[in-house]
Amino acid sequence: MLVRFWGTRGSLPVAARAEAVRGKLVAALLAASGRTFDDAAAAEAFLDGNLDFAGRAGYGGATSCVEIDAGDGNFIVCDMGSGLREFGISAMARAAAGHKRRYHFFLSHLHWDHIMGFPFFVPAFDPDATIVIHSGHADAETALRRQQEDISFPVAFDWLRARIEFVTLVPGEYYDIGGTRVSIVEQFHSHLSYGFRFDTGGKSVIYSTDSEHKAENMAAEARFEAFFDSADFVVCDTMYSLADAMSLKADWGHSSPPVVIDLCRAAGAKRLALFHHEPAYDDAQILAMHRDAISYERLTRGDAPALDVICAYDGLEVSV
Amino acid sequence: MVWSATTQGRALVARPNGRIDERNWQVFSDSLVAAIETARVAGLVLVVDLGTIDYMSSRGLRSLSTALAAAKTASVAMVLAAPGEAMREILAISRYDKLFRVYDSVAAAMEHGAA
Repeated sequence: MLVRFWGTRGSLPVAARAEAVRGKLVAALLAASGRTFDDAAAAEAFLDGNLDFAGRAGYGGATSCVEIDAGDGNFIVCDMGSGLREFGISAMARAAAGHKRRYHFFLSHLHWDHIMGFPFFVPAFDPDATIVIHSGHADAETALRRQQEDISFPVAFDWLRARIEFVTLVPGEYYDIGGTRVSIVEQFHSHLSYGFRFDTGGKSVIYSTDSEHKAENMAAEARFEAFFDSADFVVCDTMYSLADAMSLKADWGHSSPPVVIDLCRAAGAKRLALFHHEPAYDDAQILAMHRDAISYERLTRGDAPALDVICAYDGLEVSV
Repeated sequence: MVWSATTQGRALVARPNGRIDERNWQVFSDSLVAAIETARVAGLVLVVDLGTIDYMSSRGLRSLSTALAAAKTASVAMVLAAPGEAMREILAISRYDKLFRVYDSVAAAMEHGAA
């Protein structure tokens, strides 16, 4: 499987302001002071060797949208955040080159930041496309139709040209969809959310965002350890620090790096992607959060196998 | 994990040791609850001595913050003391050094936190 991240930010799309871009340019120029580069490749090699990820690139600002390419010719996409617009452009190009025009969406929940990309999803206007929207929520169609009502958006849902179906999934059941076996788990979040597990060819990917793991009910986390069991790749909401998730932002429905690292370790998962980044964080803060998460994994590993902790960014591709 | 607690002056000093993780967090949590009640009845400050903790996972940390809320409800002052290098780093990573008063030693906690 190949996992492509089209949107990794939580709650609200963000973009770097002019002064943030300028600050990176100034730092890069200072780092390169006195050097010359023969070509772009040499300049890129310098950036990679001398600047950290926050300095040479950035995590992006589109909200949740993750493509899982299972290799059977169907599109599989988790959530419809603002990153969906970019995915739609890419999908149209791939469809023009012969890719099947069948899209399987899996919605974690129906909050705005997870569905806002759909009105801008170009394949929805393709009369040859079939779009199947899977969700644990029976009211998914209501949510998508409502955001395209006249008061909110100029293009009505009924004007879309693709064939669109809605399917409600149930925890505890297994479904064969798009060449994968799919199961879902109910999560703690306002109006509930659902995590998804995709298994195919002996590999497994978990998508678990907008999921709070309550301190008052830690014994219940065995349910998630079972759901994450031996997963090859886990994408998890790590929006807040543990202290914030336990205090100011308790009941806001999000998790923290230490909690999900512990869940992955207990489940025997192999790799974790930190995801659904706090929109108030700049690139340096996300990088610091990632470094802290790596340190926490090392400090609390004990005699368990190492867990590879990476940090998702818009444009990241991970082979599973 | 082995738990012990002794009264020193106006403080109840609790000393968990070893690793606190998914295997023993419930014992740690129950011990904290009992210590808060002991401190409440005796009018003592609760000092949790972290000096012999190897590491604490999120379940141990969450047990600490749940205990802090219970301590506030019971009007018991609860502070942390003497974290080793690993625990100090874990408290910083989790931002628990912002949630708790953390002292370099039990003596310092007794002097400042328990005064």
